[in-house]
Amino acid sequence: MTPAARWTGLAALLALWQGLALAGGGWPLAGPLEVAGWLWSNPGLTGRAVAVTLANAAWGFVLGNAAALGLAVIAALWPRAQNLVAGLALVVFCLPLIATGPILRVLMGPGDGPQIVLAALAVYYTTLIPMLAGLRAIPSAWLDLVQSYGRGRWAELAHVRARASLPYLLAGLQISAPAAILGAMVGEFTGAERGLGVLTIRFTRDLDIAALWSMAVVAAGLSIAVYAAIGWAGRRALPGAPPVILAPPRLIRGSPARRLADTALLTAAALTLWWAGVELLDLNPFLAKRPPDVAAAFFGSPDTRAALLDAAAKTLALAVPGYLAGLALGAGLAVLLSLRPGLAGLTVPLAVALRSIPIVTTAPLIVLLLGRGAAGTVTLVAVMVFFPTFVACQQGLRQAPGPILDLFRSHASGPWRQMLHVRIPAMLPALFASARMSVPAAILAATVAEWLATGRGLGNLMALSASVSDYTMLWLAMVAVTLISATIYGGIAWAERRVLSVMAPEQVRP
Amino acid sequence: MDKPGPPASIECTGLSRLFDGSILAVDGIDITFAAGRTTALLGPSGCGKSTLLRLIAGLEEPTTGQVRIAGEPPAALCRQGGLSIAFQDPCLLPWLTVARNVALGRKLARQAPDPQGVDQIINLVGLGGFQNARPASLSGGMRQRAAIARALITRPRVLLLDEPFGALDALTRRQLAQDLPPLWQDQAATTLLVTHSVDEAVMLAHRIVILSPRPARVVADIAVPLPQPRNPESPAFRRIVGEVLAQLARGGEMAQSLAAQ
Ligand SMILES: Nc1ncnc2c1ncn2[C@@H]1O[C@H](COP(=O)(O)OP(=O)(O)OP(=O)(O)O)[C@@H](O)[C@H]1O
Ligand SMILES: [Mg+2]
Repeated sequence: MTPAARWTGLAALLALWQGLALAGGGWPLAGPLEVAGWLWSNPGLTGRAVAVTLANAAWGFVLGNAAALGLAVIAALWPRAQNLVAGLALVVFCLPLIATGPILRVLMGPGDGPQIVLAALAVYYTTLIPMLAGLRAIPSAWLDLVQSYGRGRWAELAHVRARASLPYLLAGLQISAPAAILGAMVGEFTGAERGLGVLTIRFTRDLDIAALWSMAVVAAGLSIAVYAAIGWAGRRALPGAPPVILAPPRLIRGSPARRLADTALLTAAALTLWWAGVELLDLNPFLAKRPPDVAAAFFGSPDTRAALLDAAAKTLALAVPGYLAGLALGAGLAVLLSLRPGLAGLTVPLAVALRSIPIVTTAPLIVLLLGRGAAGTVTLVAVMVFFPTFVACQQGLRQAPGPILDLFRSHASGPWRQMLHVRIPAMLPALFASARMSVPAAILAATVAEWLATGRGLGNLMALSASVSDYTMLWLAMVAVTLISATIYGGIAWAERRVLSVMAPEQVRP
Repeated sequence: MDKPGPPASIECTGLSRLFDGSILAVDGIDITFAAGRTTALLGPSGCGKSTLLRLIAGLEEPTTGQVRIAGEPPAALCRQGGLSIAFQDPCLLPWLTVARNVALGRKLARQAPDPQGVDQIINLVGLGGFQNARPASLSGGMRQRAAIARALITRPRVLLLDEPFGALDALTRRQLAQDLPPLWQDQAATTLLVTHSVDEAVMLAHRIVILSPRPARVVADIAVPLPQPRNPESPAFRRIVGEVLAQLARGGEMAQSLAAQ
């Protein structure tokens, strides 16, 4: 796409937005002019909040990515550890920020600690997964070369894997930069004193529409800026096409017995880490519950169990439709654009922008627009899932093997036929990878909407428990959310194996 | 240039390799390659030549039998940096320049850097002026020459070359076949050369071993008692070429009659 088309698209979107703001009588909309006006008259307030949020996000970015790199190197040096590392990383990634936020808040006090930890938690997974893929996506001949000089895994890492994985690292860092801002802002939602998140909560309470839109625009602008900056630096440092991360390494492979053993090991390791961590850090037992406390609460008290299951059902009733709608829209739009490339001028700038925006930070706005009913939550979840899926599917569609497309063209098969028989099968691995990675994001979006707006479901249960210091219920909800996310993730991985072994057998490695 | 040591003899006894429990690639090969000699391995595509080289380099574990290099398992020589293999695919690291790819051989073999030696060998394989080029900007044949330079730079005791001239045009091929033997003789490594060109084998080798279609067995073992440099037009040369071709054909027939039984 030419720069001219991109700018035209952007200008059209801005005009559309301003038009909607002018026309939309009863809607809480503020157009670009009002946002610019608000920012112009509040430079100090905005500047200070931006500085605080950016600093927290930067610390989280550094810490989270350092952790991701360390874990990836462990998995590269000891391949047997990879399943366990990836599995534990997933479990931690599935922890609901809404529960970890308040717990960190009481443990660490009112400072910047919780925001930084949440930012680190939000980024490390999106770096770890591409790194795990990058450290392994290496022609076996390169490793044979190292081995033929009698050298081992360290030499492999130093001479081959480290450099070969750099493009993957950059891709991961680029995605994780907006995620760091998201983590920092969610941390600020949970009772910080300064920052963009704090202002967002305040303006939501005051129903200050222009200010709220301004916060969303600033958060979005920051995210786009860091995303673009890392992309630019990456292209400067590493000329050449960025890698396509289609299929992050699967959590569990091998025979059913092996998978069962891996799952058991993972569960045991997660429980051990939790229990040992709480004991070793000598955390207050009132705040930091142990596995037996949580089990006793679930199995011992029917009321607690009923409340939890009821909340989980309410959350899933909205999260699942939103999730499926996001996947369908993302894949559908990617297919449509590949058939009608002319539309790309309008949609791609929007997609690039929204891909890098931490949607969750605009949750108050979306709920404000769509109301406190089901529509707002479903939309938020769908939007959250839509963009990564759309981008992944676009990349997947481009993976269609050229010679096979040529074969179809030589038989005068039209674009629809090529799409059905070649491009969509080539897109499936990307769609599934995105579907798996989007599960925790969908649950996060649903619970944030519940917490900030709708007042129901698991998000509300966690917020309520935190505010009345019912830490048993908070931990129970945290475990429940993690289990739900991990189970759905596992279910999708299972479906993925089933479908790909028929549609794209070469993608299912033993 | 430092040198890991004198050329080493290679001894294969009862060497077999079975893939996936059913594909027998190499079947009970007993053969010794004398120290410092160049042997060409000839055989139809897919017969197991690459597998044999990988077994000798210790990259593949034998299903039965064993490989001994100077009386020790291959891993011992590999650890001393005394073995070089140039794969069928040039296998250059795309982010390194030609010079750095060649120097990587010394690094991996834990030898001291030797920029002059690197320069020299690059000129020798005809890549002078391309020291700072990246593999992506080279032709297939140039990449293969860079890979050969990387194999030679460590002055190995055992040199394994898997179709090193595969992607070259006939003329360059012949040119390299003339330029390289002095280099090998100078290094005096024990060299195994897999090739599909009978002329090349007779041009370069002291000895030609012909393998049967898969599974690889030794069909014929032909000495090439011609002095270097060799003249491909000479009657003695043509006679040996004729004999090799006849043995290759016999190997094919043998396999067919075995299959018929
Ligand atoms: N890793 C492997 N797994 C399974 N089968 C293999 C493997 N490597 C080689 N084979 C099989 O072993 C046989 C011999 O392969 P090899 O690569 O040694 O042949 P080659 O003689 O080098 O052929 P070419 O001249 O075409 O290079 C082939 O049938 C091949 O399919
Ligand atoms: Mg071969």
